[in-house]
Amino acid sequence: MDGHIEFTGIGKLFPGVQALADVSFRAESGQALALLGENGAGKSTLLKILSGDVRPDSGAISIDGRPQNFQSPLDALRAGVSVIYQERQLVPTGSVAENIFAGDLPGRFGIVDYGALRARTAEIVGKFGLNIDPDEPVGRLPIARQQMVEIMKAYRRDSAVIAFDEPTASLTDSEIAVLFRIIREMKANGKIIIYVSHRLSEIFQISDRIAVLKDGRLVTTFETSASNEDELIRAMVGRDLGDTYANLSRNDKFGDTLLEARELETEYIRKVSFALRRGEVLGFAGLVGAGRTELARAIFGADRVLSGSVIFNGEEVSFKSPKDAIAAGIALCPEDRKEQGLVLFRSIRDNIAMPVLQKLKRLLFLDRRADQKLAESAIERYGIRTTGADKLVAELSGGNQQKVILGRWTSEKIETKLLILDEPTKGIDVGTKAEVYQIICDFAKQGIGVIFISSELTEVINVADRILVMKGGRITGELARAEATEENVLALAMSE
Amino acid sequence: MEKKSGFRAFTGTKTFTLLLLLAFIVAIFAILTPGGGFLKPRNIKNMINGMSVNSILTIGAGCLLVSGQIDLSVGAVGTLSGVVFALLFTGYGVPVIPAVIISLAVVAVFGFINALLINRFHTQGFITTMATGLLAQGLGYILDGGKAIAIKSDAFNAVGTKSIFGGYLPISVIIAFAFFAVYGLLMGRTKFGRSIYLVGGNPTASYLSGIDPKRISYTLFLNSAILGGLAGLMYASRMKSATQSGITNSSFAGMTAAILGGISFGGGAGGMGGALLGLIILSAFNNGISGIGIPPYWQQVASGALLLVALSFDYLSLRRKELALRRDAARIHAAPGGATDGNPKA
Repeated sequence: MDGHIEFTGIGKLFPGVQALADVSFRAESGQALALLGENGAGKSTLLKILSGDVRPDSGAISIDGRPQNFQSPLDALRAGVSVIYQERQLVPTGSVAENIFAGDLPGRFGIVDYGALRARTAEIVGKFGLNIDPDEPVGRLPIARQQMVEIMKAYRRDSAVIAFDEPTASLTDSEIAVLFRIIREMKANGKIIIYVSHRLSEIFQISDRIAVLKDGRLVTTFETSASNEDELIRAMVGRDLGDTYANLSRNDKFGDTLLEARELETEYIRKVSFALRRGEVLGFAGLVGAGRTELARAIFGADRVLSGSVIFNGEEVSFKSPKDAIAAGIALCPEDRKEQGLVLFRSIRDNIAMPVLQKLKRLLFLDRRADQKLAESAIERYGIRTTGADKLVAELSGGNQQKVILGRWTSEKIETKLLILDEPTKGIDVGTKAEVYQIICDFAKQGIGVIFISSELTEVINVADRILVMKGGRITGELARAEATEENVLALAMSE
Repeated sequence: MEKKSGFRAFTGTKTFTLLLLLAFIVAIFAILTPGGGFLKPRNIKNMINGMSVNSILTIGAGCLLVSGQIDLSVGAVGTLSGVVFALLFTGYGVPVIPAVIISLAVVAVFGFINALLINRFHTQGFITTMATGLLAQGLGYILDGGKAIAIKSDAFNAVGTKSIFGGYLPISVIIAFAFFAVYGLLMGRTKFGRSIYLVGGNPTASYLSGIDPKRISYTLFLNSAILGGLAGLMYASRMKSATQSGITNSSFAGMTAAILGGISFGGGAGGMGGALLGLIILSAFNNGISGIGIPPYWQQVASGALLLVALSFDYLSLRRKELALRRDAARIHAAPGGATDGNPKA
């Protein structure tokens, strides 16, 4: 068997982000190629291009030497490419059998042959060695089993190329064992496997070659047998953002303790304890789903705290809603600016005044002049590029949108003592990023305590005064800026 | 927004489009109506008079739509309030004022139930309010035994039937305009009004910025039901009786007017001024079309067509920019600008 898939010079530009640039590699039949990279390195975009979901701006994919031009996921499926995403694409109310054979139900003249459907499903389930009833609605299965159904779906299609995106993220050990057995069987049958994962140990177990992506570029490829973890981590991180960090004007005078969490637990985080001083920038590093956003939400009163306590500004607090937290002086810039941070189709002015409407009241009505002044001062302070305070936030660039949110929490009408920034530089250009770093340091100089959550290792270890690393809802380590390196933070973030 | 000279800027607005549409409708019917009857003072007075009940419904529907919600029960609930009033007043001799208060309290319960089901039990607003509407309708039938109940109170009936200034300014119209003025100020100038727009635009972002979307939802459903009740009472006053069908079929009229006037179905946009204009257009259209002798069923077809035209207008003109921005937003959202940490939660 000499089948292969070849990526040649793949490039993709999203507004403001070079997602992929000139990525070329080749995967062989009967082998598994692992794709490795930090968050945002371009792995997901590459998979989306492979599945026909996203079209590349440049470059091409060829299978067995035949160039492919996928216009839609259906094209990719027809060409023999199955991509299994983390987000399951199942119909929860449909049975296991119906989901596995979706789009290709056995039968004649549009009438489904349920006997054959059940028998063929039972055969596949048997191959996997799992105890799953073909008639069970998928939505009633545990998440891990649903993930396995998704994998069976791809197995059933018998595609030549099968790509997995973090397949083990929601699987238990026993299912991982099944998955690896199936992948080995697929390899033996001459399939081409592309395997995306953060988990180095898995990559060593299952892959034959490893391609490392960084900032949308292919750094290098390794033969799995001839490489080691240290080498891979170095390839994933090694980058230099120049003098940006060295030139930051930082705060060096910390005050007393502003925030202390003691054994904090919610549905998503486990016994989290830490303290933050006034004027300190505390970084939270970790991988996707490490529980950092959930920790922020717990402190902010948005998620229910199950046990443990929070001491803020000298007293124990228990916020019932973000409104209470805001009244106490806490501000949150959420990770997803567009979904959670901004009201996109309202003006800059409306977005900035959101938490302080009560203070803009004069008798019954909002004081329009004060409202306008508030927005204008934020526009000036942060240099928001706009024709006026009336402009819709949707019309601004990502960086300027982020500045609107910062302006919201630092206006003259609000006294923010603790600022929680969740991925504040996500999707914004490099120049604005540098500005945001300095703005963060300026907050600290005013005595504001800053929680800085970021999945970009370089920025979090260079901007924060101290770094806490999270994994699986727990804090797995603490490092001072001086001792933090991308390698040791990543090691903590991926520790088993 | 870029500052253009006054008139040029105005021609780009939704208001201008609506005024054009109104002018067009008036012109067409002025020509088509036999004997130029459409523009005769009597017809105009009739038209304005007929608007008053729907105007109250338009306001209630408009506020809810801005917040991103919908209330289909309002017509039936309004009818019920008229029935409850007539039963209390005519059947049990309860004086007018207490009878009005009790009937509004009854309909307020429906508003509260709608809000409770939607906010506490997370049911779909569309289906929930349809169900409570059926409930209210059934209760109305049971209470009045399927017959109209006459209301013999000059004071009460004056609201819907009397006019001042030589008979040219109906009291009900004064009330309707007063409501538009008050709600216009409420929506445009107060903290509460601003919060409604913000919640309608993005409930999650509003919640994370200290605005309570649930409180707004409760208030607006109560408001919708009570305004529905007022409209029902106004209608009963005009008819001098509580009729069985009452204003049950008018839920859609209020919503149609609001949407026609530029209040977005998805929430967060539009205003009371536009809603008033939408109502005037709708009333002129309905009045005109019955004036030129088109059979009633065809009138309904024409009303439906008008709404469709208004909606496509909306998408083709103003919305084009918004849709383009939304597409960009979606594309950026799909971009790998970084990590998504954890599950998206509201």
